[in-house]
Amino acid sequence: MDLSFFADPVFLVQNLVDGLSRGALYGVFAMGFTLIFGVLDILNLAHAATFMWCAFAGWFVMAAGGLPLPLGLAAAMLAGAAIALVLELLAFRPLRREGADKLSSMISSIGASLIMVSVAEAAFGVQTRRFPDKVLDPKPFFIGGSGGVRISRAQILILAASIVLMVGLGLFIRRTRMGKAIRAVAANQKAARLLGIDVNGVIVVTFLVAGALAGAAGILVALLTNNIVPGMGGQIELRGLAVVILGGMGNIEGAVVGGFLLGLVETLTIAYLPGGSDIKDAIAFLILFLILLVKPNGIMGRGKAERA
Amino acid sequence: MKAKRTFLCVAVFAAAAAASAAPLSSSIKIGVVETLTGDNSAYGISIRKGIELAAQEINASKLLGGSQLALVVADDKADKQEGISVFTKLINDEKVAAIIGPTLSGTAFAADPIAQKAGVPVLGTSTTAVGITAMGDYIFRDSLPQAAVIPGTLAAVIAKYKPQKAALLFQADQEYSKSEADVFKASLAKLGIQLVGSESYSKGDSDFRTQLQKLSSKKPDILVLCSLVGEAIPVLQQAREIGIAVPIVGGNGFNSPNILKNAPEASEGLIVGSSWFIDSKVSASTAFVAAFRKKYGGDPDQFASQGYAGLYIVANAIKNAGSIDRAAIRDALVKIHGLDTTLGPFSFDENRDPICQSVPLTVKAGKYVLFQ
Repeated sequence: MDLSFFADPVFLVQNLVDGLSRGALYGVFAMGFTLIFGVLDILNLAHAATFMWCAFAGWFVMAAGGLPLPLGLAAAMLAGAAIALVLELLAFRPLRREGADKLSSMISSIGASLIMVSVAEAAFGVQTRRFPDKVLDPKPFFIGGSGGVRISRAQILILAASIVLMVGLGLFIRRTRMGKAIRAVAANQKAARLLGIDVNGVIVVTFLVAGALAGAAGILVALLTNNIVPGMGGQIELRGLAVVILGGMGNIEGAVVGGFLLGLVETLTIAYLPGGSDIKDAIAFLILFLILLVKPNGIMGRGKAERA
Repeated sequence: MKAKRTFLCVAVFAAAAAASAAPLSSSIKIGVVETLTGDNSAYGISIRKGIELAAQEINASKLLGGSQLALVVADDKADKQEGISVFTKLINDEKVAAIIGPTLSGTAFAADPIAQKAGVPVLGTSTTAVGITAMGDYIFRDSLPQAAVIPGTLAAVIAKYKPQKAALLFQADQEYSKSEADVFKASLAKLGIQLVGSESYSKGDSDFRTQLQKLSSKKPDILVLCSLVGEAIPVLQQAREIGIAVPIVGGNGFNSPNILKNAPEASEGLIVGSSWFIDSKVSASTAFVAAFRKKYGGDPDQFASQGYAGLYIVANAIKNAGSIDRAAIRDALVKIHGLDTTLGPFSFDENRDPICQSVPLTVKAGKYVLFQ
C-alpha cells in the first residue's frame, strides 16, 4: 500500500468528492430502475436505452437549440416520461393483459432496448455529442486554493440532484394519494383492484415517474462525462443493476445509498490500492457479494411484503 | 495446316488453364469486415469509405481487366463472437477470395484463426497489437504495428520536451489498449524515462477522474493514453479538467479526427504517431485526398487511407496472381514490393507486417500536423 497518500488530506477529500459524485451517477440511474421493479416486480431492461434517448433529447434542446440547462432538464424528463409511457403501452401492458410471466416482460424489455439502441445508432451515427461550455462551465472550482480539492459544477449538480430526487420521490411515494395507490399496487395488484384503484392508471403513473427519472439521469450523467453516444446506457446498466440489488430491490433510498457506496468503494480502491484500477470491479463486486451474504434483501431492503 | 493451327490454339489454351486453376472471374468477391456500429464505429466507417472509394477506382480503371471487385461488407460490431460468425459466413457461404479487416485487434485475435485454418488471406488495415500476423501465414496487415510507431513518436517527444517521468492510462480489458500500453512501457524504459504511474480502466467506465488524479499526483512530465475513441474523448477532457497540463501522447486510437472534433480544446497539442497524415506529399496520397473529398465531402483520416491502400494491395496481388485461388493470392501478397500507395512505396516484411515510415503528428487548431 502506498502510505504517503494517507497523510495527504486533500487527496483523501478529493477522492471522497469524486467517489460520491461517481456514486450519485449510479444512484440517479438506479432510482427509476428500482421503482419499476418495486411496483411491478419486473426488470425494465429498456431503462438504460430510455436514459440514453433522454440524454440525446437534452442535447438537442441545449446544444442544438441553444436553450438553458433547466429547460434541457425539463425536456429530457418529458422525453423520458413519454418513452416510458410508450414502453408500458407496447412492451409491458399487452403481456400483462395476457397474464404472461415476469420473464416474458423482461425479454420484451430487452427487445425494446435493442430496437431503441439500433434506432439511435442509425439516427445519430457515431459522432460523440458533447455540450457546449455555455451549458455548464466545465472549469472546476478549487476549494482551498489551486492545490485544493477540485469539484466541478456537474459534480455539484449531480450530488444535489441525487439527494433532491431521492427525498422528493420518497415523499411522493409516502405522502401523496397517488403514492399510496402505487404502494397498494406494489403490495398486491388484485387487492388494489378490488379496492377500486385503477391499477393500469397507477402503473402508467409509475412508468411516467420512472421515465422522468431516467431523463434526469441521462442529462446529469451526460453533463458529468460529457460523452453522449448510443452505447452510453449499456455502460451504466450493469452497475445500475448492482446498485438496485445492493440497495434492496425496489427501495428508492437504498438505490441512492447503494450508489454512493459503490462509487466510494470503486474510487477508494483505485486511489489507495496499488494496481487498484485493475481490480476495482473485483473489489466492488466482492463487497457487493459480502453485503448480500449478510443482508440478502440489500442494505435497506425489507421483506417482499413491505416493499415500495 | 488448318488442323495444326487449331491444335496449337487448344494447346496454348490448355497450358494457360493449367497455370491458373481458378482464373479471374467476372466478379471477384472481397470480404470487408469492419466495426460499423457502436462506440468504436468511427474507425470502421472511415475504413469502409476508403475501401469503397478504392473499389470504385479499381473497377473504373479496369485494373483487373474484365473482372470487377465486389465488396461483401459485414459489421463485426467490435465483438469477438460476431467477428467469428461473420468470417465463417464470408468464407463458407460467400466464398470470398480474401478478407480485409477486422477493425479491432481483439476481434482479429478471435476471427483471424478461422481464415488461417480455411486458407483465406486476411489483410488488417487498422490492427496494431503485438502478435496479429504471428497468428499465421495468411494474416497480413498494412497498419503499422505498435512497436514500429511508438519508439519513433517517443523519440520526437523527447527531442522537444526532454521528459524525465511519464504516467500511463489504458483499458485493461481491451487487447489493443493493453498491448499498446506494454509497448509504451518497454519503449519508455529503453529511452530512460521513468514510469511513475500506470493506471487502467475497464469497459463501461465513464469517469476517469480518480485514475487521472492519482497519476497527476505523481507529477509526470508526459501523460500517455491508450484508448479507443469512445473513451478517448472523456479521458482527454477529464485529464484537462483536473488540471493535467503536461503534453499528452496518444496511441493509435487517437488517430481519429472524431476525437479532435468532439474534444477541441482538450485535444489541442495532443501527440500521436501515424503511418499517414493529410498533408502527405506522396502522390498516391494527394490523389486519394482529392478523390475522397469529392466523393464524401469531408477529409479522410489515417484509417480511411489504410483501408484504401489495403484494397489496392489486395487487388494488385490478385492481378499478379492472375487467379482467385486463395493460396495464389497469398503468395502474390507476400511478393508485393514497392507498390505505389497512399502510405508510400509499400512492401511487407518477412512477418507480413508493413514496411513503411511512421510520422509523429500533433494537433493544431483541430488538425493533425507534423510534430517538430
